[in-house]
Amino acid sequence: MISLIMPPRTQISITQKMLTDEYGTASNIKSRVNRLSVLSAITSTQQKLKLYSTVPKNGLVIYCGEVLTSEGKEKKLTISFEPFKPINTSLYLCDNKFHTEPLSELLESDDKFGFIIMDGNGALFGTVSGNTREVLHKFTVDLPKKHGRGGQSAVRFARLRMEKRHNYIRKVAEVAVQNFITNDKVNVAGLILAGSADFKNELNRSDLFDPRLQDKVIKIVDVSYGGENGFNQAIELSAETLSNVKFIQEKKLINSFFDEISQDTGKFCYGIDDTLKALELGACDVIIVWEGLTTVRYTLKNADGEEVIKNINPDTPKDEFLKDSDGSEMEIVSEKPFLEWLAESYKDYGTTLEFVTDRSSEGAQFVKGFGGIGAMLRYKVNFEQLISDDEYYSDSDSDEYGF
Amino acid sequence: MSNQGQQDDKQGQNDQQQQYNTNNLAYGMQNMSLGGNAPAFNPAAPNFVPNMNAQTFNPGQYGQYGQQQYGQYGQNQYGQYGQYSNNNGGKQGYNGYNNQQYNNQYGNQYGQRYGNQYGQQYGNQYGQQYGDQNNGNKSHLMSLDDYKKQKQQQTGTAKPKKKKTLKLNLSSSTIKIGNSKKVEKKTVKPEAPKVEKPKEAKPEKASPKAVNISKSTSSAPKSSAENSTSITDNSNVQKSISSKPTDDSSLKEAADIARDQEDHVDPEVVKDMFGGKPHVSIIFMGHVDAGKSTMGGNLLSLTGAVDKRIVEKYEKEAKDAGRQGWYLSWIMDTDKEERSDGKTIETGKAYFETDTRRYTILDAPGHRLYVSEMIGSASQADVGILVISARKGEYEAGFERGGQSREHAMLAKTQGVNRLVVVINKMDDPTVNWSEKRYKECTKKLSVFLKNIGYSGKNVFFMPVSGYTGDGLKARIPEKICPWYRGPSLLEYLDAMPLTARKINDPFMLPIASKLKDMGTIVEGKIESGHVRKNQEILLMPNKIDVEVLTIFNETEEEADAAFCGEQVRMKLKGVNEDDINAGYVLTSKEHPVHTVTKFVAQVALVELKSILSAGFSCVMHVHTAVEEVTFTKLLHKLEKGTNRKSKRAPAFAKKGMKIIAVLETENPICVETYKNYPELGRFTLRDQGETIAIGKIVKLL
Repeated sequence: MISLIMPPRTQISITQKMLTDEYGTASNIKSRVNRLSVLSAITSTQQKLKLYSTVPKNGLVIYCGEVLTSEGKEKKLTISFEPFKPINTSLYLCDNKFHTEPLSELLESDDKFGFIIMDGNGALFGTVSGNTREVLHKFTVDLPKKHGRGGQSAVRFARLRMEKRHNYIRKVAEVAVQNFITNDKVNVAGLILAGSADFKNELNRSDLFDPRLQDKVIKIVDVSYGGENGFNQAIELSAETLSNVKFIQEKKLINSFFDEISQDTGKFCYGIDDTLKALELGACDVIIVWEGLTTVRYTLKNADGEEVIKNINPDTPKDEFLKDSDGSEMEIVSEKPFLEWLAESYKDYGTTLEFVTDRSSEGAQFVKGFGGIGAMLRYKVNFEQLISDDEYYSDSDSDEYGF
Repeated sequence: MSNQGQQDDKQGQNDQQQQYNTNNLAYGMQNMSLGGNAPAFNPAAPNFVPNMNAQTFNPGQYGQYGQQQYGQYGQNQYGQYGQYSNNNGGKQGYNGYNNQQYNNQYGNQYGQRYGNQYGQQYGNQYGQQYGDQNNGNKSHLMSLDDYKKQKQQQTGTAKPKKKKTLKLNLSSSTIKIGNSKKVEKKTVKPEAPKVEKPKEAKPEKASPKAVNISKSTSSAPKSSAENSTSITDNSNVQKSISSKPTDDSSLKEAADIARDQEDHVDPEVVKDMFGGKPHVSIIFMGHVDAGKSTMGGNLLSLTGAVDKRIVEKYEKEAKDAGRQGWYLSWIMDTDKEERSDGKTIETGKAYFETDTRRYTILDAPGHRLYVSEMIGSASQADVGILVISARKGEYEAGFERGGQSREHAMLAKTQGVNRLVVVINKMDDPTVNWSEKRYKECTKKLSVFLKNIGYSGKNVFFMPVSGYTGDGLKARIPEKICPWYRGPSLLEYLDAMPLTARKINDPFMLPIASKLKDMGTIVEGKIESGHVRKNQEILLMPNKIDVEVLTIFNETEEEADAAFCGEQVRMKLKGVNEDDINAGYVLTSKEHPVHTVTKFVAQVALVELKSILSAGFSCVMHVHTAVEEVTFTKLLHKLEKGTNRKSKRAPAFAKKGMKIIAVLETENPICVETYKNYPELGRFTLRDQGETIAIGKIVKLL
């Protein structure tokens, strides 16, 4: 199986020549089966390559080889495509699998931004890149609090306090180097310092802070807490600086969805059923869907030969959803992941599709609170579900919580 | 009434009264075991029954008082005690009687003495029943639940109550018996005979002391055996309680008395230390630059808690640093950064005394970044002082959306600060110049807002002051500069302010506010309930470490043998490493440890939210002194506006202004209780992005 990746502005002829050379080398392979499959793969690749006069502007990726289909048959596969953004890897590999790692790197690698959140209780080191937010390291620290006044030890306490604070800054500076400098190079595109009180500024001014990192500091923000919450707030506050990072865009998107809800515009829907209804009405402007949605789309056939489509959570036992309304069993015609279906057919409904993760706090809410799918609509749609919202228990006292 | 007079009286009584101060239950305990159960005291209980007259009062017992104090009590005490009586449930109850039955002298005497004493130990028992009887005294804070708990601890002292055959008594004593069976059986029953012994010894030991103090000439303390029989006899006579359980419980009670006595320290020590003054924690809050620290510093310097010389030193230093006029705040702001920026970062703590009370000042930072710091300290305060700057522009800034005057007031309310003094500060400023118009302008809007968040009526008091010049802090404002305000000064008001009952006999609980290392592990905090004494073994939750109290330091940094509910203490602990403690951990009694959970159901009111909240929402929770990240795992119900009825359907999301019931989960275990049982540990604040988004109370632990 051959994986071939050509970065932008590669000359096709050079690659062709390389393949011809490879062909020569491969003909010396002892094992007959092996030799034949390699040679045929190389030939196919060459054929595919001939379809291109120049490498597209984002580069070119070709996979070629024989794969086993689900029925256990061998099938020859030759895929070539242009990545969605410039690829910076040059690769030719002949292996027993396709190498897609450079492609997934492409998905996540945006600029990586480093964060140092430090306050009186501890420090947190994290990065944001693409749509991932990662905590690299965190530690807590015990700094002496402000002391009561007076006493002959007041001065001593003040001194001890200064010393502890100094040591803390030293430690943060050192850990920052460990985390953000690899091979003597800063591994992030920018660094954001955050924290309450004055620590962050002290760190920035301090000689202990590596000058290489100091150069990369792009923003200093005030947050009210340390730890994870501080990290989240720091990301929020530096959103402008990081505006082209996917993570931020994702947050923005979900926030605008939440805004629709909070303003009660009626131009929103959530849950798979409502969203599909809206989709069929053509009302969806943007569909937001969680990339980890596991729902499966089944096409079923009932006893009368009519086709029924159901979107089912994979946890549901099969015999449950296979029942028709009259109780007779239905036959599965086809099944495919709902996400895949959506990705293939969203264009038919004239909408845009946005995938989100559950890594941001908004994303987590979207997934947990709204089932991981929702849409912003072009106009108001009245869903039945929203009407029966205001039922209350008649008695406020007789409940288990004892209000 | 004159406060001066009250102070005089107080001073005059100090010698005797010290033992009966708010924190002194030890004395009461002893007294109970001698007198309380012995005939000598029993008459005292019926004494409270309305139709008794002053004669049965047994003057002999109070002979000493008669000589020294009746005279003093003379004319104006009535009013004072009216004030006094608010101090706690017990007193209130008695005061009711006083007013109805007794003449001035006896009434007040009695109210004072027993009020104090009973107020402390029975806080709730007597307060509750008498309060109810007198209907109208509702200041006792404890519910029957707490009351039950308390009883478990002091079943012994509860004894005389039975003789009063009040309805409440009956029901509660049956509850008590049930409880004592359940809880105390295993510990007490097997050793009941043994326990008798120390009990016998104790009263004898204690009796001379008691004579010393109260000169109780009437039927002197008897041996415990007699005590308990007499109790049983009495209760049998009272026929309202079946004799069997009474026997049973009297044994246990006896055991309990013994245990309690062992629990308590010599009251003399407490007396020496505190001079009989109740302790109050006050917190200064308000918008940044409202003058909180300055006012705190000025209070300290006016009350003499800070040396004149030091103040002068600060004045000079401040001048050198180009911060003339800030020297008063330097008393509170001790850090370099705080002084150079002129804003408090960490909560400052200070201590001062007046003639009648001991105060701990908590000086909260006003800057919005440090609100989280303020919340932790607010949970330690009894009374809030909201400092509002009257200066043009500053008042408006503090009060508009996002201003800390608003936020702090609300946070204080949710952290359990039920009383608020609003001081309109900087009245001396040229833009204000003690103008009544400006004062009215400031208070008008404020009072509406405060009413909305739950401060109203007698729980709020407004006054104009100048923190910088000190006008209106200790002495009243001279009439010359402010003819329109003739109310009390800040300290006068605080001294006269009624206090809420302390739960001295509840299980011990101390949320740790901070820790430090100084030749051992030292923790700081306010005792939320119960009491602790030196060398007592207690439990550190949530990591369940047994610790021993090595030393207790009180507010004045002096060593103490015991500390009681409401006090700010610092304790050196044995058996735990400093690293194993975090702020927000709770020290509790071994018998009744606090609950630790990671998941709970809470009722949450969303006060400020940018968009919406749904399951998966995470933010920061402040509960007592703990700060923890918390996630909404499930929304259960929303509550209908006005009626608070629960929705049948779980809401998919919640918006600003809604009230919901939700399941919340924390990453690390936290020490909390349901709001119903322990309001102090059951209310919380949720914050996100530097804003207070919600307040809530815990309804169920999962």
